[in-house]
Amino acid sequence: MRQSAGPTLERTDEADTYYLNMGPQHPSMHGVLRLLLKLRGEEIVTCEPVIGYAHRAHEKMAENRNYIMFIPNTSRVDYLSGMIYNIAFCQAIEKLCSIEVPERAEVIRIIACELNRIQSHLLWFGTFLLDLGGITPFLYCFDDREEILDILDRVTGSRLTYAYGRFGGVTMDVDQDFLVRTLAFVKRIRSRFPMYEKLVGENVIFRERCEGVGVITPEVARQYGVSGPTLRASGIGYDVRRAEPYGGYDRFDFEIPTRTAGDCMARFEVRMAEMEQSCRIIEQAVAAMPEGPIGPKKLVQRLKPPEGMFYFAVESARGHFGQYILSDGSNTPLKLKMRTPSFSNLSAMETVLEGTMVADTIAIVGSIDIVMPEIDR
Amino acid sequence: MSPASATPVSLDGLLLESADADFAVTGFHRVHSASVERIGDVARAYDEGAYLLEMITCEDRREDLKAMRLVYTFNRFAGDLDRHVVTVDLSGEIPGAEAPSINGVYPAANWFEREIYDMYGVTFSGHPNLKRILLPDDADFHALLRDFGRMEDAES
Amino acid sequence: MPTTLIEQFGNPAIAIATGVGGVMTVLSLNALFLIWLERKVSAWIQRRMGPMEVGFHGVFQTIADMLKLLGKQLITPKGIDKPLYHLAPIVVFAPVVAATSLLPFSKSVAISNIDIGLVLIFVFGGFAVVGIFMAGWGSNNKYALLGAMRSVAQNISYEIPLILSALAVVLMVSAVGREVPIDGEIVALNGLNLAHITMAQVHWTWFILVQPVAALIYFISVLAETNRAPFDIPEAESELVAGFHTEYSGMRFALFFFAEFSNMFIGAMVATVLFLGGWEGPILPGPVWFFLKTYALIFIMMWVRWTYPRLRFDQLMTFCWAILIPLSILNLLVTALVIKVVQS
Repeated sequence: MRQSAGPTLERTDEADTYYLNMGPQHPSMHGVLRLLLKLRGEEIVTCEPVIGYAHRAHEKMAENRNYIMFIPNTSRVDYLSGMIYNIAFCQAIEKLCSIEVPERAEVIRIIACELNRIQSHLLWFGTFLLDLGGITPFLYCFDDREEILDILDRVTGSRLTYAYGRFGGVTMDVDQDFLVRTLAFVKRIRSRFPMYEKLVGENVIFRERCEGVGVITPEVARQYGVSGPTLRASGIGYDVRRAEPYGGYDRFDFEIPTRTAGDCMARFEVRMAEMEQSCRIIEQAVAAMPEGPIGPKKLVQRLKPPEGMFYFAVESARGHFGQYILSDGSNTPLKLKMRTPSFSNLSAMETVLEGTMVADTIAIVGSIDIVMPEIDR
Repeated sequence: MSPASATPVSLDGLLLESADADFAVTGFHRVHSASVERIGDVARAYDEGAYLLEMITCEDRREDLKAMRLVYTFNRFAGDLDRHVVTVDLSGEIPGAEAPSINGVYPAANWFEREIYDMYGVTFSGHPNLKRILLPDDADFHALLRDFGRMEDAES
Repeated sequence: MPTTLIEQFGNPAIAIATGVGGVMTVLSLNALFLIWLERKVSAWIQRRMGPMEVGFHGVFQTIADMLKLLGKQLITPKGIDKPLYHLAPIVVFAPVVAATSLLPFSKSVAISNIDIGLVLIFVFGGFAVVGIFMAGWGSNNKYALLGAMRSVAQNISYEIPLILSALAVVLMVSAVGREVPIDGEIVALNGLNLAHITMAQVHWTWFILVQPVAALIYFISVLAETNRAPFDIPEAESELVAGFHTEYSGMRFALFFFAEFSNMFIGAMVATVLFLGGWEGPILPGPVWFFLKTYALIFIMMWVRWTYPRLRFDQLMTFCWAILIPLSILNLLVTALVIKVVQS
């Protein structure tokens, strides 16, 4: 620790303070985040998140391979909502090159993405409780999450890093069994929500640890570009699925849950409510599943994107995921910038964490649901 | 969504060029370009209009434009979606390309500008903490420059 | 009255050797069992199987783990305070052995029978804090230091309600045990003697029935004193890695672990003596009842640990100083008042 810490860690310039290097190897850091904390006792004077430990140069890779070769990369950017990222990239290229997507493929994509979103939220729920010292809910969440992984595994062949999307559709069609299991899962997870609420949401210690902790005001959220459930917990009902509907989301009836408190408890409640909304979308999608092809009529042989700047945004489990593409007309992008939500969400932490306690740091960083590979790309 | 008329941002005199864009095709409502001196004022105008800074990125356009191009996108939560993109061309010298930081207007710019410095070598004057963010602190290259090399070169 | 070892052997040296040997055996077996139980209980609560491989339902898993820990390299970090670092595990562990030797397991079995047993138990309990702080200070690690600071603040604070709630029991013993027939003679019971506390309950009724508030405060304080969840703040792994024993490995770590489980054991045993009537119970022999009650309490401690999240440090201190201490003082005053009124 001492050697790698660098000169900045040796001594602070202020009396009564010291540096604590939290991470990148720390039991409760999500992935490889390092927080450089300047502490007075247990109170945080300043906090500097240090990132980049999981940088894999996805944007550089995108410039060096054609669009179709980049598909498997996308789900590795954010391994927890890999399906959403994977589909989002395909949707971006479809929009760029004006490729039609059959309706059945769109509905399948929505079911897969919403399952992925529930899966991501479940994992967040478990690890958040783990951060607060409650170990048991983690196992219960993984029990539920496993079911989603099994369902998606059956159609996609992967459990985490999917490459399910293709330009103009998906790789494999779903069968009746998939739909039955999906509905069974929705029923199962609905029966679990009251238990989670009772076991965790109404727990006195949990509420004590979460209420009023780590408040993000709407103004801070705007200045830092915070998005996703973290933003909606601050009272702004911005959801890309509603603000700029994509991939057929405008056909479904769902609500955007918001809370106004902006604290950890609000973020918890928003995510729990979002899982319920995802269930609603899945139910409607299964009921409305049309027959038909799952890919384009004519196989896309060679992409011919127009020249120029292009932007496409989706709502990932963590917020606004935008892809900025600069095309020169060839089938390789000149530039692919991925605007990932956690990058902005985490950058707001330097303001939010000031003046909190060490134990709160863990709760707050846990509550914004960061995935380091997505931040570092 | 008719973007131009609904814009509550007064950008008069701040831009070099300004045009409507087809949102359904490009994902942008308006496309602007500004000079490097005015980008701070542009950011302030957007901030006053309660817009948020979605992202900043950079393009290595030294081959075709003889410039490094910064790309800012602004959007808003309230009301209709209204995504603007502002491009700023800098001199094509690396190192040497410099732009004023808008960190004072949008704190979100802090990390985006650091990332651009890290990946492209563009420096931002007035940035409080301009150091590498994703690459190692002791790296001597800027990875996303087009002449940095293709990945195959590095592997062989 | 229990016969003590010294009375049995006559020779103090042999008595001490037998006593320490006996206590160590009990503690070791207990720790082996408790660690296995903790893993099984957590597994059942989390709908898992727990250890299943080594022996029937994994009963020998802990022994396998112990052997592994024995074989581990003892890593000594740089820049430590050597005497403190090396002494700390022993300072934490030794009082546990001493405290166990004070407890009356049944009407006839006890290692020692001291008139101020209760006071001594709390004294030994206070010792562990010194060891923990030595470990945290000596390790040259910020997490360890933070954990040790938290631990000292927490343990010293929670000792107050712990002792205050025990004092209520001491008052009760003196009040109800003025004339108790023991072995054919009438004696006045001494509230600080652990065997006498049990006798008072045998004579009258279990104190948990007349002192429920004290019992609850005592139980909560024991959770905090033994650093169990939801008060496991000194070693909160999601904040402080492993707290004060972050830099300890191999058998040194095992000693801390051993001490933690033994402290839990002692806490539960003292609670049994104070509130649950010690060895008293029908049909089964005294020690069986004693350990049944103890393990029932330990099971509740485990249950709590695997159900609740952890409190924040300042909330923990507020809970102690603003709720537990005033409540225990009030309880003590009411107890004294009632005794005075009834007696006059």
